[in-house]
Amino acid sequence: MTSAVDHVRGFLRDLREQGLPVPVQRQRDFLRALASVPPRDVRHLYWIARTTLTTALRDAEVFDPVFARWFGDGAVAVVPSEVDVPGQERQAPDPSDGDPPDQVVQEGAGREASWSIVDRRASFAATTDDRRVLAELRGLLPGAVPTIRSRRRRPARRGDRLDVRKVHREAWRTGGEVVGLRWRRHPQRQRPMLVLIDVSGSMRQHSADYLRFAHAVVGVCDRAEVFTFGTTLTHVTSALRVREVDAALSGLAEVVRDAGGGTRIGPSLQEFLGNTRRLRMARGALVLVLSDGLERGDCVPLTKAVRRLSLLGHRLVWWSPLACDPAYRPVTRGMARVVGHVDALAGVRDLETARDQLTKGAHAWR
Amino acid sequence: MNETDLAQGMRDERYFADEGLLTAVYLALTLGRPLLLEGEPGVGKTEIASVLASVLGRELVRLQCYEGLDAGQALYEWDYPKQLLHLRAAAERAVGDVYGDDFLLERPLLRSLRCERGAVLLVDEVDRADSEFEAFLLEYLGDFQITIPELGTVRATVTPVVVLTSNRTRELHDALKRRCLYHWIPFPDNERERAIVRAHVPTIEEDAATTLVRAVAGARRLDLLKRPGIAESVEWARGAVALAGTGDPWPVALRRALGLLIKDEEDMALVRRDFEELIG
Repeated sequence: MTSAVDHVRGFLRDLREQGLPVPVQRQRDFLRALASVPPRDVRHLYWIARTTLTTALRDAEVFDPVFARWFGDGAVAVVPSEVDVPGQERQAPDPSDGDPPDQVVQEGAGREASWSIVDRRASFAATTDDRRVLAELRGLLPGAVPTIRSRRRRPARRGDRLDVRKVHREAWRTGGEVVGLRWRRHPQRQRPMLVLIDVSGSMRQHSADYLRFAHAVVGVCDRAEVFTFGTTLTHVTSALRVREVDAALSGLAEVVRDAGGGTRIGPSLQEFLGNTRRLRMARGALVLVLSDGLERGDCVPLTKAVRRLSLLGHRLVWWSPLACDPAYRPVTRGMARVVGHVDALAGVRDLETARDQLTKGAHAWR
Repeated sequence: MNETDLAQGMRDERYFADEGLLTAVYLALTLGRPLLLEGEPGVGKTEIASVLASVLGRELVRLQCYEGLDAGQALYEWDYPKQLLHLRAAAERAVGDVYGDDFLLERPLLRSLRCERGAVLLVDEVDRADSEFEAFLLEYLGDFQITIPELGTVRATVTPVVVLTSNRTRELHDALKRRCLYHWIPFPDNERERAIVRAHVPTIEEDAATTLVRAVAGARRLDLLKRPGIAESVEWARGAVALAGTGDPWPVALRRALGLLIKDEEDMALVRRDFEELIG
């Protein structure tokens, strides 16, 4: 008996060491389950353990091998084949515990090389001029973001629904006599913002300003999410939450590994759309894409992804540095097809032009 | 009730669970813990609660989650107009009187605690509610009780069976997940799906069901925006049987009823292209 206990304890410890710590409460559930439902066979034990010890589908990646090591003789026989696993998990499973594996440094994808742009520009960022424009942007943004009626009612001076609770409370003071009425209404709240920034080689000279703009967005807007894409898609919202703009940008270097490289706009956007959790960020949001739209290779994924984005979001706004030129016409293969699905295409190449867009072009966001 | 009885009872209700799901449900019943179910839309997450309710002979209490759902709609609410009328009608009464059971409006969570025969509570699509809402659930899920400041703590007369479902549009909070058993429902294998289709559409012929299930499995392997769930394949079978009844040959009926399986224009184009291959 003692050996069985030791065995189970060893199994739980191994789970923790492999990166799947199980809270005591769930461990207790597991042990209680073993006591009240004695497992028929290893397969049954597998399901008992998996139900009680894991909390997400991806946990199985850690859980299955450990389980097989401790309880399986034919390791594969124990693990049922997952026929369907949605979104991200369908792609190659990570051998590590969920963290993306560090990418092998390749030519043109190196960290130093890729972020030299930002570092170099960081000295420009210190200029008071840039900081002034950034401050202006912060002031302009809340007014520019479109609003939507909140689902919750809040107390308000004038409203559409009687605040019975409050009326009742106040009536107590007057012996149950209703003296004045109180109201509730749906307040307006900001729509979510979704900013997708192209950091590929062709956007090299603009990406630093774009990222600064995104920093302002994350700082001021209630619900904002920012992604960068070059050859892969990176979620950078949390890296941009750092208060100081220069610190935030140098912190980004730790996260974004594909800056200054090639362009795969279509596949990156499709990667975004392939994950339900990310999809939710686009739903009803103001989607802002900052890219020149110069796609290499097949343009079909790009067109499909943009069309889907525009259907999901409230408005799809495309900012391109090329469009700053008055003579610009969206005739490149990618942009020509995309432009029909975009609500507004505007020229933005730095912070000043972004400010101009916010003052003059924000009506397209409504 | 042992596990075999449970499986039989669920089969009688035309629900065909695989071993993993069965173990999860059985553990939820024996340990008295809430069961959190995730999976693609249309694999029978919601269905399982109503099946459990009829197998166990309990009342089904359903809470559909949505953005903006708050405690007043999920737990309980005081009946303020009634309280006011009461106060005015009997001004000399003690004030504490109006915070009694008579003035309490039951919402789903409270209702599930006060059912005499016990209840099966379904908290559907909990990921649709905002994350603050999960906090309201914690006391309930942990101890099956609700504390009402004016009244005291309401405990369950019979421990409710709780099923939560989520479509994974956002990550649920750890505190919530810690209190639940977890199971991911995958798409069923062909054998099980055929049993499901035949149980729900008894008029379908054996080979027709085999073809249909194989086609659905093939369609799930295509790069679709929305992969069809079990609900869709049952609907498809139903539609195709209805069309076949009017004299259409089987493959034509399947093709004409395709709108019941695929609900997106681009997906439809993909499936139409490979249709011959899919139905073999």
